[in-house]
Amino acid sequence: MPRLPLGSWVDTGVEFLQRHLSWLFDAISTVVTGLYDGIDAVLSAPAPLLLAGILAVAAWWLRGLLAALLAMAGFALVDSIGLWDEAMSTLSLVLVATLITLVISVPLGIWASRSDRVSAVLRPVLDFMQTMPAMVYLIPGIIFFGVGVVPGIIATIIFSLPPGVRMTELGIRQVDGELVEAADAFGTTPRDTLVRVQLPLALPTIMAGVNQVIMLGLSMVVIAGMVGGGGLGGAVYKAIGNVDIGLGFEAGISIVILAMYLDRMTGALGRQVSPLGRRALAKVRAGASGVAKVWNHRPQPAYAIAGAVVLALVAGGLSTFGPGSGSGETKAGGVADIGKGRKISLGYIPWDEGVASTFLWKELLERRGFEVDARQLELGALFTGLAGGQIDFQTDSWLPVTHAQYWEKYGNKLDDLGSWYGSTSIELSVPSYMKDVKSLADLKGKGSQFKGRIIGIEPSAGAMGLLKDKVLPAYGLDGEYKVVDGSTPGMLAELKRAYDKHEPVAVVLWSPHWAYASYDLHKLQDPKGSWGKGDGIHTLARKGFAKDEPEVAKWLRSFKLSEAQLTGLEAKIQESGKGKEQQAVRAWLAEHPEVAKMA
Amino acid sequence: MSTLQAEHVYKVFGRHPDEAAAAVRTLQGGADREELRAEGTTAAVIDASFSVEPGQIFVVMGLSGSGKSTLLRMLNGLLEPTAGRILFDGQDLTALSPRELRHVRSTKISMVFQHFALFPHRDVLDNAAYGLEVQGVPRAERERRATEALELCGLGGWEKSWPDELSGGMQQRVGLARALATDADLLLMDESFSALDPLIRRDMQDQLLELQRRLKKTIVFITHDLNEAMRLGDGIAVMRDGRIVQQGTAEDILTRPADDYVASFIQDVDRSRVLTADAVMEDSDPAAEACDCPTVSADTPLADLCAVSARVPHAVAVTAEDGSVIGSVPQDRLIAFIGDEQRPPMYCAEVAA
Repeated sequence: MPRLPLGSWVDTGVEFLQRHLSWLFDAISTVVTGLYDGIDAVLSAPAPLLLAGILAVAAWWLRGLLAALLAMAGFALVDSIGLWDEAMSTLSLVLVATLITLVISVPLGIWASRSDRVSAVLRPVLDFMQTMPAMVYLIPGIIFFGVGVVPGIIATIIFSLPPGVRMTELGIRQVDGELVEAADAFGTTPRDTLVRVQLPLALPTIMAGVNQVIMLGLSMVVIAGMVGGGGLGGAVYKAIGNVDIGLGFEAGISIVILAMYLDRMTGALGRQVSPLGRRALAKVRAGASGVAKVWNHRPQPAYAIAGAVVLALVAGGLSTFGPGSGSGETKAGGVADIGKGRKISLGYIPWDEGVASTFLWKELLERRGFEVDARQLELGALFTGLAGGQIDFQTDSWLPVTHAQYWEKYGNKLDDLGSWYGSTSIELSVPSYMKDVKSLADLKGKGSQFKGRIIGIEPSAGAMGLLKDKVLPAYGLDGEYKVVDGSTPGMLAELKRAYDKHEPVAVVLWSPHWAYASYDLHKLQDPKGSWGKGDGIHTLARKGFAKDEPEVAKWLRSFKLSEAQLTGLEAKIQESGKGKEQQAVRAWLAEHPEVAKMA
Repeated sequence: MSTLQAEHVYKVFGRHPDEAAAAVRTLQGGADREELRAEGTTAAVIDASFSVEPGQIFVVMGLSGSGKSTLLRMLNGLLEPTAGRILFDGQDLTALSPRELRHVRSTKISMVFQHFALFPHRDVLDNAAYGLEVQGVPRAERERRATEALELCGLGGWEKSWPDELSGGMQQRVGLARALATDADLLLMDESFSALDPLIRRDMQDQLLELQRRLKKTIVFITHDLNEAMRLGDGIAVMRDGRIVQQGTAEDILTRPADDYVASFIQDVDRSRVLTADAVMEDSDPAAEACDCPTVSADTPLADLCAVSARVPHAVAVTAEDGSVIGSVPQDRLIAFIGDEQRPPMYCAEVAA
């Protein structure tokens, strides 16, 4: 069989689209971002508990008192574990995706229900959209729309569109043919037949579709977190990157609370908006008595809306007059306001030195009057975003070795602002209880001890390519050992498991890394130098950033940290816990005024 | 008041319009349904012509698959005839644009369905007012007229109920009220009583006849039940395999079935209730005229005639409204007609042969 270059055709196609339709993608991006920012602004404006109250009133109206109490408790929990902002941005993401999905899917479904041909054409397309792994949409999504919420929303839309279309079509086709004929027989226009007969009767099915759209959207938010979608997905992704079980659980339970709320509410809304559902509800309520009556009581929509409006007004009032609108909050150190509120966007991968240096710069730049946005991204997404200009700079690029393949691909669209830390190293490490394995050469012949495995990290990592292509062949290990592709958290988990049981294990690691402090490990010597020279940790900026912000570029170029400084900062961040990176940075800067002044 | 006329109407279902048109030519050339089916087209209605006078109930009767429902749907343009014309109120419905056709359907022709086809998301009043809503009649007026229609159908006081709270018979009354509320002249009824149980069905038939006496609509009624056809129809058309095989009054069909198919159809009919004195009477018997024995009127059903005949020693005289004798029915002839025989009694030798 000849190799069909399907992938490269798609590549070419995507490139073509990127070149010729960028105006379209920009327009879509603007609209989606605008919608998202708008909804997010509305949801984030009121104090968390007030909004929770509003959502609980909605639950009371739709499902009764118990649902309201549970909703209130759930949202209070989200607030108390400090994930409220993330939850609201996830909610905004889901709402925007759902809104756009419905705007597209309902008309498509109606069209498909009226034409067998359209239906036949749509069916395989929908199958394709639904079964293609959703991650695949993210790659072109980043290229077309850049990192951030947009590719996440677009991927969510593509992923959740099919049930919207299918359920709409099904709902309309299920409407009794005699009813449609009756409408026709009384001279109803096709449009009115749709509006007066088909849609009202199809509504329960369509609402079931809406419910599915929302649920699929929620299931996509974690994936959206990988490309900078932020929100709870970002928190989950961060937790995975840091093997932080606690944060992972907290973010996970928040997603569950959101999902349950949205699921139950859309289900109830389906009954509430369809005339038949309303009648069934009224019947149940009329039959209730005593305690059940209170339990089943629903406020009239007018009261519910009035209640929500009152709460919203209180909320608005609090956020206008209350504290918290912190203008001129942190201009510590008496440095000049150079940024004047200009925005700078940072991206980082969840590696310790990346987190530390990024939040250090976030703090330093904010002190100088910049508005800084720092997003955690997947490595590939980070480089794509930087090359595309959505990210201004990032501080955690290992060059010339580890990230060489990214530099090759995107180097011409990036500026290297120099190395601030050096030198690093990548190595294979084994627990020091493996007494007879001191160098890479010692691995030879011990394959059976290690079960022939070397525990690797993400296949996209530079270290992995280097290991497979250069290091193993150099020591004649490539037949004996297989490098297991996986993830950094997976590698660390496997290391911990084997370490605790005193089993032989060989892992891909790099220095600096906290694992060396936690476990007694031995870096395997590399007498042949096949890993190459150590990297410097470089700051990379998008092309043109140095021209736009010469002052910042100058600071970045002169930025240096010693090993003591970096590990000290990392330790401070580790102590403070997740979500408090910036406080840790502030505390650390107070002890290191030389760094605070440096830039 | 206006006449409904169908002129050489064909309906052929095929994949392409050309195919259907070609099929009509084949049919006009004398081919039958089976030959067409081999070519992939289905002839539902073949060369149907009839005319319904204002105020008449015209019943189209046939078994399922005979094309009667298709024929009915061409009368209000829900289906477009492949060939032929439908004339109503001087208009050729087949020549109208979709918009004009919708206007005709909303104002002049209404329809009652087999399974009622009430809108489950509207209450009884809104269902009855549906046609008026389509016409754009203001709410107050359409509710007034719908209420009237409901009262006419014996459903006063049920306006705020929902269709699924009503029995089948009541649901169909709502269907009837919906059709009457628009004041359409032509009422198409598609097996409207078939889904009801027999007692209710009889009630509904009586009510339809009662309403018809007052309202004098033109009604085309589809049924597969010959008794119903005989009870309701001023004129009856029997359909088989897409063709109308016989048209006439109930008596025409009972006494002179056009072919074996119609004859087998009418076997189960309660002839003593359908046939009337004037259908079976022969020339007046002078003996019957002279005496004071009871007489019967021309529209007396045979069942009642039997009772009279049993008390009279000779043929029963049939009288016109003015009391003059127009004919007589001897007992043997009476028995012969109830027993599905159209000939006078024969001699033993003839019967044996």
